[in-house]
Amino acid sequence: MRRFLVVFVALLAFAFAFELTPFAQAHLVTPWTDAVASASAALMRTFDATVTTDGNVIASSTSPFAVSIEAGCNGVEATLVLVAAILAFPAPWPHRLRGIVVGVVAVQVLNVLRVISLFYLGRYDRDVFEWAHLYVWQALIMLDVLIVWVVWVRLVARNPAASPPLAAA
Amino acid sequence: MTRFVLRTLALLPLAFAVWYFAAPILLWPAVLIVRAVAHTSFADLARVVEQSGGVATFVTTLGAGVAAAEGFVTVDVNLRAYAFGMPLFAALTLAAHTTRWKRWLAIGYAALTPVVAFGALADFLKNVAITAGPAIASQTGFAPWQREAIAFAFQFGSLILPAVTPAVLWVAMHGRYVAALRATGSPAPAER
Repeated sequence: MRRFLVVFVALLAFAFAFELTPFAQAHLVTPWTDAVASASAALMRTFDATVTTDGNVIASSTSPFAVSIEAGCNGVEATLVLVAAILAFPAPWPHRLRGIVVGVVAVQVLNVLRVISLFYLGRYDRDVFEWAHLYVWQALIMLDVLIVWVVWVRLVARNPAASPPLAAA
Repeated sequence: MTRFVLRTLALLPLAFAVWYFAAPILLWPAVLIVRAVAHTSFADLARVVEQSGGVATFVTTLGAGVAAAEGFVTVDVNLRAYAFGMPLFAALTLAAHTTRWKRWLAIGYAALTPVVAFGALADFLKNVAITAGPAIASQTGFAPWQREAIAFAFQFGSLILPAVTPAVLWVAMHGRYVAALRATGSPAPAER
């Protein structure tokens, strides 16, 4: 467990520092954030044709309220946490890669739900929006990461060859 | 596993409610840490740190600029924005339903309090050194590399630490519980 935690923290610190570099911001984070906005808006347009996007901003042609997806709401940090946790845990690489792909999808699906819910909550009530934005969704996304990780660990454990005891992890 | 997740989701609203209304008390130790650090390390920037509910107000030594010849800049920091890990940790710990849950709650609270203080201090420094504008930032005397360090500390203290710390603490404290979940999908009786 101790080794897992040390490796996890080291990987996360490295990944987060890299994320903040101008290169990563320009070539990875900004395009990713715009893609999150586009995907969220595309889903919303299936039931709300007034939704528009401009880069990382989601707006509506019938409301003055708009949301700008910023750091912390684009799911990048949650993804980094999950990837660091999977890489830090002793498992064969094929298991890790499958866990990362499926886990990132799971985190991002919930993140798109977060963006959509915040967009409509903000139009309805700003206080509720702030509550959901600052506190509730932050906790739910991290809970999602934790659950995905535990589920992945369980799946790894089903393969005895790939499953060292947790005490040695 | 499913029952654990459902218990956590059921406990989360209750934990959030208790946390929100008890914030003035729960966050008071974090403000004490903030005051101590501000007094020892940033006495030339922060004169007083006051708490009002879930908000810490930094009364600075910095002038408000030419538009307001008198008075000092104050910075309000929403402490709850760095403390949402407390209800998450509480819900996870109570959902795990181990015999040592009171001990884990106390240790988790003690471990999360410095995280709140770190976020609040980084938020304050980011405000005066970067986002307040050049008229105020120039009074702080921070070198460019120090502003970069403040920006990094703020990002790390707002995006990573408050969210990751409760999860890491929970995993570290519930290693046997996680191992049991991993093996069987439900915790071992001994762990209960």
